Amino acid sequence: MPETRTHFRDELQRLEAQALGAFDMVTEALERVAEAIRHTDIELAQLVIEDDDRVDGRYLEVHQGVLSLLARQAPVASDLRLIAALLEIIKHVERMGDQCVNICKLLPLTGNNPPTHPVMLDRIVEMAEQARSEVAQAKEAFARRDVGLAEDLVRQDETINRLNRECFRLAIEIGDDADIREWAMHMMLIARWLERIGDNAVDVGEQTAFVVTGLFREFTDASHPEPVSPGT
Amino acid sequence: MTEVATKAKRVTLGGLNAYYGDSHAVKGVDLEFAPNQVTAIIGPSGCGKSTLVRCVNRMHEELPGARATGSVRLDELDVYGPSIDVVSVRRTIGMVFQRPNPFPTMSIFDNVAAGLRLTGTRGVKLRERVERSLIGAGLWEEVKDRLDAPGISLSGGQQQRLCIARTLAVEPEVILMDEPASALDPIATLRIEELVEELKQRYTIVIVTHNMQQAARVADKTAFMLSGELVEIDSTERIFTTPSDSRTEEYVTGKFG
Repeated sequence: MPETRTHFRDELQRLEAQALGAFDMVTEALERVAEAIRHTDIELAQLVIEDDDRVDGRYLEVHQGVLSLLARQAPVASDLRLIAALLEIIKHVERMGDQCVNICKLLPLTGNNPPTHPVMLDRIVEMAEQARSEVAQAKEAFARRDVGLAEDLVRQDETINRLNRECFRLAIEIGDDADIREWAMHMMLIARWLERIGDNAVDVGEQTAFVVTGLFREFTDASHPEPVSPGT
Repeated sequence: MTEVATKAKRVTLGGLNAYYGDSHAVKGVDLEFAPNQVTAIIGPSGCGKSTLVRCVNRMHEELPGARATGSVRLDELDVYGPSIDVVSVRRTIGMVFQRPNPFPTMSIFDNVAAGLRLTGTRGVKLRERVERSLIGAGLWEEVKDRLDAPGISLSGGQQQRLCIARTLAVEPEVILMDEPASALDPIATLRIEELVEELKQRYTIVIVTHNMQQAARVADKTAFMLSGELVEIDSTERIFTTPSDSRTEEYVTGKFG
């Protein structure tokens, strides 16, 4: 039988490509975020803030494209699942962009040449690099409809969570100097946003599994967490 | 002859086969139409969906060379049983067709009353039943002041509701609809769909449709047929979000027509 609805399928593919492109914007932002944190580079941070308009614009385009396809094409079955997932995914990507912005707004507050704690700074930069890697993996898993790779995001996200807890301990023990304590407090806020970016990447993974299997399930249940063993 | 009991509501098809001469149009279908539910049958042209419903009220066999094997049951009653009155079957299992087909020479009133008169209903009771049927078909308010006008003076959508009223008049338990809205404009179509929703409170409804969105809108369950076989039946929601069979997936998403 001849293939039909090719025009619709082209539109849907274009929409998916637009959404996937938004991931690249966020991974690029996260590379800059890592650099900006490492060097307290306020100008680079400002660029990230300005460039977030591109992510927001992409969000609006994909959102509008989803509404348009729903209204005109009445998609069903796997097409419907993909379109529903794109709407969720683009929201997660837009939030990750906002979380990068939040981080970059915090950086100037640490002041010029603030006292730093090298180990804690390394851990924060590591978190930013890990977040970047998770976002790239979430994109890859979705593009390939690879549920295994999507589920692996939970394991990847454990790394960020572990670094986050480590930073918390380091911040508590950072000493009596008021300036470095203020710096550590800002770093903890940054760590918090990086940790949220990881969570959003896992959420994208859940959407990948939904598109493939038709069943939505949370990979981890935050309200019924498994006990965390000490020292992890 | 055995009168079909009017409380029979569940329709059960068992190993149903239908033929046109040598052509095998319906192939061993097992299917159940639950009472007070709308079941839609979808599938490409020639998949056997219209033939299947015509077997349910024994209309298929009216065509030369056509025959059916297997079983059709109304609750426990064997519709193909040897002592069954076929006319009674068709009253209990009413049918609405693709093109509205009011009796061309009859008034609106007589179109609805025709079947009742055959069963000997007369006078006040006849008028009551006609009114009730027109109300049931959502047509009463539009025609109550011109019941003597010809049935064919109505619009296409009204004519279709007139045909539904005619079906309701003889108090069926099951209503089969074969593409009931395919000849109607979108608003008339939506009125028929609204009506289907109301009718299912009292009847078992089976609707054959080419319009997948119509199936999605009106049906509780949807069955997909292909080349005379039943591929899948499931809740309409599942058929249109996560069908089990890849052939259903390909059909409903329009990958292949």
